[in-house]
Amino acid sequence: MNCADLNEALVDLVDGRLDGAERRDVERHLEGCAECRALVEDLRSIRAAAFMLDRREPNAGAWPKLQAAVASEPAPRGRLLMMTGRGNWPVWLGAAAALILATVIGVMPLMNRAPQTHDDSAQAGDPNEPATVESVTAEFAAAEKHYQKAIDDLQTIANKDTGELDPNVAAVLQKNLGVIDQAIAESREALKSQPSSANAQNGLFDALRTKVALLQQTVELINEMRKGNQAEAGRRVQTLAQ
Amino acid sequence: MAPSNPIGDVKSADLELVGRIKSGDGAAFEALYRQHATRLYNLASRMMGGYGEADDLLQDIFLLAYRKIGSFRGESSLGTWLYRLAMNHCLDVLRNRQTRMGQQTDSLDEPDAMPVASPVPVLGAVSRIDLERAIETLPAACRAAFLLHDVEGFGHQEVGAMLGISEGTSKSQVHKARMRIRSYLAHGSKKKES
Repeated sequence: MNCADLNEALVDLVDGRLDGAERRDVERHLEGCAECRALVEDLRSIRAAAFMLDRREPNAGAWPKLQAAVASEPAPRGRLLMMTGRGNWPVWLGAAAALILATVIGVMPLMNRAPQTHDDSAQAGDPNEPATVESVTAEFAAAEKHYQKAIDDLQTIANKDTGELDPNVAAVLQKNLGVIDQAIAESREALKSQPSSANAQNGLFDALRTKVALLQQTVELINEMRKGNQAEAGRRVQTLAQ
Repeated sequence: MAPSNPIGDVKSADLELVGRIKSGDGAAFEALYRQHATRLYNLASRMMGGYGEADDLLQDIFLLAYRKIGSFRGESSLGTWLYRLAMNHCLDVLRNRQTRMGQQTDSLDEPDAMPVASPVPVLGAVSRIDLERAIETLPAACRAAFLLHDVEGFGHQEVGAMLGISEGTSKSQVHKARMRIRSYLAHGSKKKES
């Protein structure tokens, strides 16, 4: 993969939705290309800042004005009747909790990964150039920093609004993040004993990616709940469940 | 126990709400307004580049929705239907404004902004004020996709449905917007430094 090829995958990469072989190709390219790493980091900063833009509220008189305008309209069928109370809170919260639990199940293999017993450092780095332990470690550190930045941005957003989640969902979420953090810690330990092991590096990347994905899903869910947007929140659950 | 079906629940809730509005239930129309007004107001104000017109636009959007609610068939979610109507209205207003001012409407195949080449991130923390200004400079088509996806949090499939474009085009529009914003912010930062 070269810089031009990366362009195709940038949106999915920044959105945390790149899977499989393509994701590995992109990561391999990013490990060796500071310019593309810088670009990805900037695009992630823009995405995080966009999500945190201020919410503007419509003028308080907007609804009464609209109500008056609608009253003078012929109704789609019949006439507007007396205004009454609002509907109930969504029924999909249980589905959201189940979805987050499903994410934990996806993370469990990371927890159970056996430590690598063979030296697989030959798999790391650019196959055209001889890799040294120092160069591979430096490239890996840069890529890891790149993930950590994404996690920090998302964590900031999620922490800000987690209080608005249903307490049961929030509790499950915290538990799941704890499981992932444990997987990250174990992966780091494995990497410490074999710094140039591609398998150990991939293990840590898998764990970091999982955390990015869960935080992104959480932020999207919070986004819908924060706005009281019942129908779209339900659709968000549907999207997450795919 | 029957398995939970959030998709079916949402569709049923949408159809039920529309049915109530069509039968003249004012509370149902108010519920629709309360669910979507803030988000649509944010979209409209950022599409227009300021607060000035957003109140009028919000009113127009909901009046249009009220008049056209009979055309909702449940093929998409009510939210998607409403945002599509809203974005079409905003784009129409922008086109009319540009026509009056003698400007050309941007097209989907407009060339991308010049990429910023740098071995280190050039942005650091992105300020909200700078980002708002950068969004105002975007062409309407990619601004709409960026606002729906990155600001409002819709998926590309939903953005595509709302803008009448494919999921792939939504991705490319969002990418174009992010690259233009990066370019704008990077050049802005350089101007501040000099």
